[in-house]
Amino acid sequence: MLAEYRVMGLFTDENQAISAIRDIKDSPWPMHRVHSPIPSHKIADALELKKSKVGYFTLAGGITGFFAGFLLAMFTASQWHLIVSGKPVISLVPFFIVGFEFTILFAVFGNVVGLIHQMQLPEYKGLEQYDPRCSGDCFGVMASCKAEELEGLKHFFQSKGGEAKVISNGLV
Amino acid sequence: MTELTFAKIDQIVLDTLKPPDRSYWVTVGILFLGVLTGAACWIYQILTGIGVAGMNIPVAWGTYLINFVFWVGIAHSGTLISAILHLLRAGWRNPIARAAETMTVFAVCIAGLFPFIHLGRVWLVFYMLPVPNQRNLWQNFQSPLMFDVVAISTYLTVSSLFWYTGMLPDLAVVRDRATGLRKKIFTVISLGWTGAHEQWRHYARGYLFFAALATPLVISVHSVVSWDFALAVVPGWHTTIFAPYFVAGAIHSGLAMVLTLMIPLRKVFHYEKIITTSVLENVAKTIIFTGLIVGFAYATEFFIAWYSHNPVEVAIFKYRPTGDYAIGFWIMVVCNTIIPLLFFIKHIRTTIFWLFGISICVNIGMWYERFVIIISSVSREFIPHAWGLYSPTMIEFGIMLGAFCLFFFFFFLFVKHLPSVSMTEMKEILDQGEDHAG
Repeated sequence: MLAEYRVMGLFTDENQAISAIRDIKDSPWPMHRVHSPIPSHKIADALELKKSKVGYFTLAGGITGFFAGFLLAMFTASQWHLIVSGKPVISLVPFFIVGFEFTILFAVFGNVVGLIHQMQLPEYKGLEQYDPRCSGDCFGVMASCKAEELEGLKHFFQSKGGEAKVISNGLV
Repeated sequence: MTELTFAKIDQIVLDTLKPPDRSYWVTVGILFLGVLTGAACWIYQILTGIGVAGMNIPVAWGTYLINFVFWVGIAHSGTLISAILHLLRAGWRNPIARAAETMTVFAVCIAGLFPFIHLGRVWLVFYMLPVPNQRNLWQNFQSPLMFDVVAISTYLTVSSLFWYTGMLPDLAVVRDRATGLRKKIFTVISLGWTGAHEQWRHYARGYLFFAALATPLVISVHSVVSWDFALAVVPGWHTTIFAPYFVAGAIHSGLAMVLTLMIPLRKVFHYEKIITTSVLENVAKTIIFTGLIVGFAYATEFFIAWYSHNPVEVAIFKYRPTGDYAIGFWIMVVCNTIIPLLFFIKHIRTTIFWLFGISICVNIGMWYERFVIIISSVSREFIPHAWGLYSPTMIEFGIMLGAFCLFFFFFFLFVKHLPSVSMTEMKEILDQGEDHAG
């Protein structure tokens, strides 16, 4: 079995972190994660991230909500069997308002479910391989290497202007 | 702005979460006493009956409905700032977005209390829930009051989820710098957020959808509140202008409350470098805009009453500025439309004293706007022998005091226990090299 080390390069400068991300792709060290205190478009571009699928959950929630609201209003009205002022029992205009509110409500529920599902939260194990400075003013780039390459990886991060921190060493 | 760094932003905000001194707890205690006063009045009303309030035919909607509309209005600017200005990429919103969102959540909670209080027999509130029941009675969603139940519940749910989701990265910041019990609590409520790129990828998208959904919601909610009135055939209420008029008024009052809250917050927590005078100035400029819309709506109401040649409409609009509630009307006009025009003068909109003073005036004016709309119309409906006057009782004043105290009680607890400025959003504009002063 080989020992695998996980090393995090910590950068206070976003551009240095981006440079490290770009260069590590061409290196033999696999990159696992990038942590940042802000949602950075530059980092997203460097990582060539795909668009999130959260929107599909939101859309599904919205469609469900519209029909749920509209049908609920229709159902409750139909239980009365009562015509008021000659107006139809199933009135589209007022029920559209209920449908609209339910659309928003369920779309937001879908959005939250989508976020929880896609971000895989809550997930407390990730905190074991994490540096608290990444929520403050540091950008963290985590890569792994074999024992004999440890110094090389640390030197790589240092040469990019960052600080190299060994996060974990385990057996694979 | 140039003096701020990521670390400095964290330090300024986290300093606000240090253990408070005695004066803080004294203030919280006083507010809690106010809350107890309101609760005692409500309990007395429940035990004695709704007759202890001053409402009676023809004025069956009094301060409870005034306060309901007032607090829903206050809630609106939070969503304006957090959602609409987010979509418009207005950098100056970032320093005040969190506190405004919090204000929204608490204000909707307070607003939601008033229909319960107004019910009298509050234990029958479940009649408004569409659940199968042995009475075989179902809600009729043709009623604007049922629209309101749906709209306000949706607004409370959405704004609470929006608020919590927006706070997630900041909860992680607090967790990473806390110790002991606080660390444990923040570890749980931050859900294990690490700011990994996969998390940000979904988060940024989800937050955008939140903003996009909250924007039409905020407009619909106060429109629905306005239809509580506009769909009734009551002179002064039955008008199509009510929805935009109410939405503009809601944002007007909410922005004023933002200034009322932000100015002391900025002073007490030394937020001067984050909530700069320019940020407050931008809020003041928006108040000019909303004030002009509200003024236009007031004038339009009078014009349409005159133009319609409807004698009842004409009578009610003559009654408002000259009748029994004329003082309330003129407070409304002066505080909401004339005083905010002072913000056209740069010196006034950049001076803390004036900003705070005018924000208080607008708050008072907007409360009176709801008073004038609700009370004056129903006290002078179609038949003169059914006219009647209304004045609130001490019970109503006690409940109103309790509501205001509850709002500020929640807000005081919030500012010392959760980050009252979004550190992440401040860092974002710093990273983008934008000037958050706008």
